[in-house]
Parts: sequence; structure tokens; C-alpha cells
Amino acid sequence: MSDDLYDPSDRPLEPTDDQPLDTVEASDAIRDKVRMDLAGGDVGAVTSGGLWRTAGREVLRKKSAIVGMALLSILLLLAVFAPIIAPYPPNKVLFDEGVSPRDPPCVHLFGCDEDKPQHILGIDGNGRDYFSRIVYGARVSLLAAFVAVLFAVVWGTMVGLVAGFFGGWVDNVLMRVMDVLLSFPSLLLAIVVVTVLGPGLINAILAIAIVTIPQYARIVRSSVLSIREQEYVSADQALGVTRWRLLAHRIFPNTLTPLIVIATLGVATAVLEIASLSFLGLGIQPPTAEWGSMLAAERNQVFTAPHLVFFAGLMIMWTVLGFNLLGDGLRDAIDPRLGR
Amino acid sequence: MKRFSKLLALVFVMALIAAACGSSSDDTTTTTAASGGAETTTTVAATTTTSGGAETTTTAAAGSDFPGLMVEAACDDETNKSHINYIKAVDANTVEIQLCTQDVAFPAKVAFSAFGIVPQEYLDANTGGGDLVDKPIGTGPYKLTQWDKGNQIVMEVNPDYWGEAPNADTLVFKWSSEAAQRYLELQAGTVDGIDNPGRDDFALIADSPDLQLKERAGTNIFYLGLNRDKEPFGDEKVRQAIGYALDRQRIIDNFYPPGSKVADQFMPDSIFGYTPEPKWYDQDIEKAKALLAEAGFADGFEVTLNYRDVVRSYLPSPATVGQDIQAQLAEIGVKVTIEVMESGAFLDASDAGDLTMYMLGWGADYPDATNFLDFHFGKNASDQFGAGFEDIWALLDEGASTPDPAARLVIYEQATQLLKDHVPMVPVAHGGSGVGYLGDVEGAHASPLGNEYFAVMDPGGRDTFVWMQNAEPIGLYCADETDGESLRGCEQIVEQLLAYEIGGTDVIASLAETWDVSDDGTLWTFHLRSGVVFHDGSTFDANDVVASYDAQWDMNSPNHTGRDGNFTYWDALFGFKNNTG
Repeated sequence: MSDDLYDPSDRPLEPTDDQPLDTVEASDAIRDKVRMDLAGGDVGAVTSGGLWRTAGREVLRKKSAIVGMALLSILLLLAVFAPIIAPYPPNKVLFDEGVSPRDPPCVHLFGCDEDKPQHILGIDGNGRDYFSRIVYGARVSLLAAFVAVLFAVVWGTMVGLVAGFFGGWVDNVLMRVMDVLLSFPSLLLAIVVVTVLGPGLINAILAIAIVTIPQYARIVRSSVLSIREQEYVSADQALGVTRWRLLAHRIFPNTLTPLIVIATLGVATAVLEIASLSFLGLGIQPPTAEWGSMLAAERNQVFTAPHLVFFAGLMIMWTVLGFNLLGDGLRDAIDPRLGR
Repeated sequence: MKRFSKLLALVFVMALIAAACGSSSDDTTTTTAASGGAETTTTVAATTTTSGGAETTTTAAAGSDFPGLMVEAACDDETNKSHINYIKAVDANTVEIQLCTQDVAFPAKVAFSAFGIVPQEYLDANTGGGDLVDKPIGTGPYKLTQWDKGNQIVMEVNPDYWGEAPNADTLVFKWSSEAAQRYLELQAGTVDGIDNPGRDDFALIADSPDLQLKERAGTNIFYLGLNRDKEPFGDEKVRQAIGYALDRQRIIDNFYPPGSKVADQFMPDSIFGYTPEPKWYDQDIEKAKALLAEAGFADGFEVTLNYRDVVRSYLPSPATVGQDIQAQLAEIGVKVTIEVMESGAFLDASDAGDLTMYMLGWGADYPDATNFLDFHFGKNASDQFGAGFEDIWALLDEGASTPDPAARLVIYEQATQLLKDHVPMVPVAHGGSGVGYLGDVEGAHASPLGNEYFAVMDPGGRDTFVWMQNAEPIGLYCADETDGESLRGCEQIVEQLLAYEIGGTDVIASLAETWDVSDDGTLWTFHLRSGVVFHDGSTFDANDVVASYDAQWDMNSPNHTGRDGNFTYWDALFGFKNNTG
């Protein structure tokens, strides 16, 4: 994170429009002086490298965060090594191999008849191995949720930075647009977006990303508003640092802390929303294995084949719990106002 | 500056008002022009009333002062694409219908729920649409009290009913697309009867001492429709390839309840017109691939499969069947994208011929081949399979006008062979289904035609009978509905001239006490029941019959409105008058 510190050698030697040549050397000299004065002082902005290291240690001290990370690690392994872990391709119909729809789990070790083919989580309504579909479902859910959050964070950050830094009518226009987005219940808005764009994985990701942009934009904007008033920013401004440079190297790095916490919790929400959209038939389309649509497909058989509803639901819970525990741990670790 | 903005705003508002007035006056002009041009009626007698452009002749029969209506269209007129020559109210209690050609299934058609009789005044007052759809008025044992959209329909007993009074004072229709929820409600006793228990709930209901299961024979067909107007199904070889590719037995074995059968042809075997031969193609993947290669699709193609996620007797689990068809077609290289549609939109789109490949089915409305074959593949059929097949049309016309059953069967055997050659659809299953009731419901039955009649059921002495079906009726003016869930609703409220026996398929008297036919089999006379009153208190007479039929028959009638104006059943069974389209 030492990049965050201003390095005078980055400075262009050529005069710029807003900085005539004769002031450049003067301002460099002043800045060096200021830096020396600040060295060792407790200024959040310039010691962020240290913050991250502290945060890392704090996170590892939180039991809940460790549990969260463990849950997520298992999921990640499932997703990455799905082709190795899953005994069958997720969409392979196994009627030729002596199964019938919604066969209960059969594990030879636990006393299932040796003559029957082994399917540890049973067979789904279309004669496919349920365990394989659960495993492959991890890929879809995690990938979709990560991409959606990444998209939302990128756009939300840009909107928040611009709105907070420039203020005035830019701020007004951008934030009112965000308010409009926020005024809809997020799932409802996502359904509207998918209805307009048409169902499918990409559109579902887009829908969820769009509805969560305001969340990030607001967080970033409020951080920017407070950071903008910090002395080190004023000092840089006084020294004539360009606005874009100020934004990219001073303000943006300092908004990351809350952003990371919110984004981690946001992944949990995104997993849920992807599953909800798929449950409603608006997200991932069959035959792709996805927990929400698997749950929807078998919901009517909850009395006769409960395993088909149970495991898909369990996986969604597992993922959401994992991200929530990790997010909470991160927040406790990073937020200086809590517990330190 | 401020004043200028105000001025600008004022101008804007005035412009808006001007635009609004302008467009509304345009509308008026269009309406007048549109209702201007219709006259195919031949004058027979006394007065001619003209309402909005379509002519209806009123004739006073000799010796009575009843101004009987008569509507007619010349049989050889090219705008009369119907089998009907005229419909006439001879006197208050007699209706004559002259057909252009003999139709042996005519009484069975007349008894069908789409041809219910509604009051003439109510039709006119709503110009054939509007309240007719939401607030139907009929002569049936129950009258509509309230349709709480999205929630339930409440009907109460009709105190003036001409027949035997219903057992329960109140009849409530509820619906849930979830088989599990329907079963749960029945088990909890909050409903008295449920339609279509889930595949796995059959045994649970049959075995329970508190519940009873009535099985419904598979008088239906589930098919995979292929639209020849949409590529690549314009090529017969591609359609045949799909016909060879499907393992239909696997679908029945895995996704259908007990009592279901693989469909070897479009007709179920319990309906007249079924012939044991020809049977459908046996599954042959290699043959299917070869046909695709011949048609230039050696690497397969991409296609969308549409369906509605609504449980029907013919299709008890749409989603799993859809995915299985998707998986099966992948074997011959056809990449299927599944697209689920809302029920009403799906039916409209398939009728309009907008869908390429879709899963749909048909339950018998009346027990005759014409209900299956003519409705789908006849000259007047909808565009669901694209442009029809003229060789099939000719055979079906011949079949409908041949009185000798043995000769008809020969014709239908040929038609079935042509369906196998052309493959406008792949017949998949005749789905067995059932109806579940609480154990104490007396008179519980399952109708092979799907029209359970609740007036004869006694819910264990309770005064309300609650019925839960798969879906909400789309509309209750059944002249313009094709959906079984809507028809069942109408059947409690509105009656036809004839009806089907309860729980069976034989045609019995209803609003007409007796009926007879001329020796040449074309002139049908219906003698109406007297003293019947509608739910609104008006008296039922022959003019109500003529008006109800004419609204459906005549495309130029101001009452030819309905919910969406398709009048699919009338078009398919009798054909429209003034059909210039």
C-alpha cells in the first residue's frame, strides 16, 4: 500500500496547465517538508498498509470469521474441482442405469442395497445425480454472485467518488438517480430488469448488479465526503495536486475499508437473489444446475422426496452464512470504532 | 425569466390538452368507420333491427306475437366459412338450426360448455364483452356472487333453478398451481375437492380413510407441437426426425401417474374415431439423425421449447417433461432452450402460430373425433401448427359429414396416417389423472371430460363446497375461452341447450327438453324448456339462443367481442360467418 503515499518522483517534470513551471519546484519542497512533519503521526490515510496488516490479524482472531472462511473454502474447493468431485456430469440423465425419478439417497456404506447404484444425495426428478448437480451448482452460484458484486462495486464506486468529490449538481443528479433505484424493493426491481432483458444467467447477474449499485455508491460517497475534509487532503490541495490524482491516490484508497465489508456481505445477498430469481424461473435456465432452480423444480415433492429440497436449501444457507460470518468478522476487524 | 417559465409551462399544458382532445376525436371517427360495413343477412320477414352495422332479422311467427330472431348466411357464400346456413327462433320455445352439410356430432358439439346461453339483453348491453367475462349471467344451478381476482370465486345457489336444487348453498372455487399445496389443503380439510393430485400423492389419497380418489380416464392427449411455418420445421423431414427421436415410453414411465398411456396417435382410445392402426414411429435415433442430415441439419439446430408451467391431466409435471425432452433432443444434436410462459400468453401465442416448438395438450370436450382432429387439424383450426395440411382437411370434412360410423372410422384411419406422415406434432401421452375428495363428500365423481358438476355433490352436510383446481379461470365468458379451468367455472353458472351426463359423455337434455333432426340430417330443431329464468330475472327464450350463437358466429356482429375475440371453439367446430380474413 506504499503506492498510496505520495512519491514526488511521480510528478511530471513538464509544466501542466494548472501548475505553471515556477510553482512546481516550490510545491515539491513544501510537500517534502509536510511529509516529514507528518511522518510518525497517526493519520489513517498514510498508514493504511499498517491497517491492513492489523485487520488481517484481527480477522484471524475472530472465531466467526474463521468459521465463515472455512465454510467458504469448502465451497470454493467444490466449485473449482467440481469435475473431479462430481461422480456424473450434472445434466446426464441416468434412467438407463436403473434409477427412477426422485430415488432417495443410497450410500452402500450406510446399508443401502449393494445392487443399487450409489447416489449419495439421491436422484432428482429428471433422473440426474443430485450430488453432482449440487456440486456444479456451487460454480454457478459463486461465479454469478461474485461477478454481480464486482460489477456493482465498480460502478457504485465510480458514481460515489464522482458524486462525493465534485458535489454540487453532479452529486445531486447522481444521488437522486440512486435514490430512485433504492426506492424499489431490490428483488422486485431485479424481477423488473430481468423481465425487460429476458431470463438467463447474464441478465440475472446484470439485474442484481444494477439494483445493488446504489448501496455501494452511497457508502463510497459518504466516505469521500468525510475524507475530502481531512487535513492531508487539504494539504495536497493547497500544494496544487491535480484533482484526479487526489481522487485516485488519496481518497479512493481510503474508501476501500467500508467497501470491502459491504461487498463481502453483498455477496451473501447476491447469492440469495440469484437463487430467488432462479426459483421464480427468471434466472438461470434449465438444464443448468443451480440451487434456486433445483429447489423450485422439486418444491412440490417436499413430502415425498424431502432430500431434493433439503440439500439445495442447505447449500444456499451454507453460502450465505459463510459470507455473512466473514463479512461480520471483517467489519469488526477493520472498523476502528468497534472493539479497539 | 420566472414569467417566461410560467408562460412556457402554460403553453405546454395547453398543448397537452389540445393533443388529448385531438386524439380522442380521432378515435371516435375510427370507431364509426369501423362499425360501418356488414350485411350478409337475407331478409325474411317483418322488421329489421340494425345495431351498429350488423343486421339481424326479426320475424314474427304466424299465430304468435313472438318476434323471433333469425340469422343466416348463404352456404355457398365465400365469406360464410361455416357449416351453418341459418339459426332461427321459430317461436319462444323452438329453435331451428339449418346446417349446410350433415354433421353427425352436432348434438355433442351443442352440449359443449363454450356454447352456453346468456341473456340477449346482457349481450347487447355489454356488446359481447366487458361484464360478460367477469360477471357471467346464465341459468345454471349456481350464480356468481364475487370473483375476487387472484384469490377465489364465490357462487351461491340459484333459488330459481329449473332443475334439482344444489346440495351446498355456496360453491367456492380456489386454485393453486402447486400439487403439494392442493394435497395439503385437502388433507387439512380446508377444501372439499382438489383437481389433479400430484403423481406421488395418488397413492396417499387412495390409502387415506378420510379421503377418496376418483380416477379420470386418459381422455386427453399431450403432444409436442411443431409449427411448419417456423424454420426449421418447414421441412417435413425435420419434423419426422423429431417424431423418431423421442423416447415416449421413458416419459410415461418416469413422469406420469398410474393409468397413463403412451400415445400412439392423437386420438385417445376411448373416443370415437380412434383406430388401432397406424401406430406412431418407434424411437430410432439413427433414423432421426439421418433425416436431419438429409434436411441439411447434420449438426442439429437450435430451437426454443415453450410451455406454461400449469399442471394438466395430460401434463402433470411440465418442467420435468420439458427438461427430459430437452435432454432427449440433445441426443440428435438439437439444442433446446426452454422458455416458460404465462398461461394466457402461451395459449394466445400458440393459437396465433407464434411458437416454433411447444408442449401442449388437449382434454376431450365432447366424445367425438371432431373434437380432437377437426379442432386441431381441420380447415378452421388455429394457426398453432402453421399453415394446415389440405389433404387432412379434405378427409376431416368427409369424416364429419359421413353418418355411417364404420365408414367414418376408415376415414379417420387415413387421417391418422397423414398426421404420422406430416408430423405437425408428436403425440406423447394420454395422461391418467384424478380428483381427490374428502371422504364424506357424497356424489363425488370425476368427469372424463373434466367438467365436474358440483351441484350434485353434498359436502358431508356442510353448506359450502370448496373446490381447488390448478389455476384461476382466465375469463367466465366461455364462448371465448379454451382453458379447462375456465370452462369448469362456466359450467356451474351457464348452461347449453344440451349437456353431458354427469360423470360421463352421453348427451342429455338441458335447456332444450327435446331435439330432433330432419331425415337428411341437416335441420336440427330444439324444443326449449319453458319457465326458465336467468340469474338476472329475465326469462329464457329462443331469441337468447339465437343472440348467444350469433355473437360467436358472425364476425361482423357488434357482439362478436369476447375477451380477446378469438372464439376459438366456434371457429373450429362451426366456422365463422362474414369471415373475410
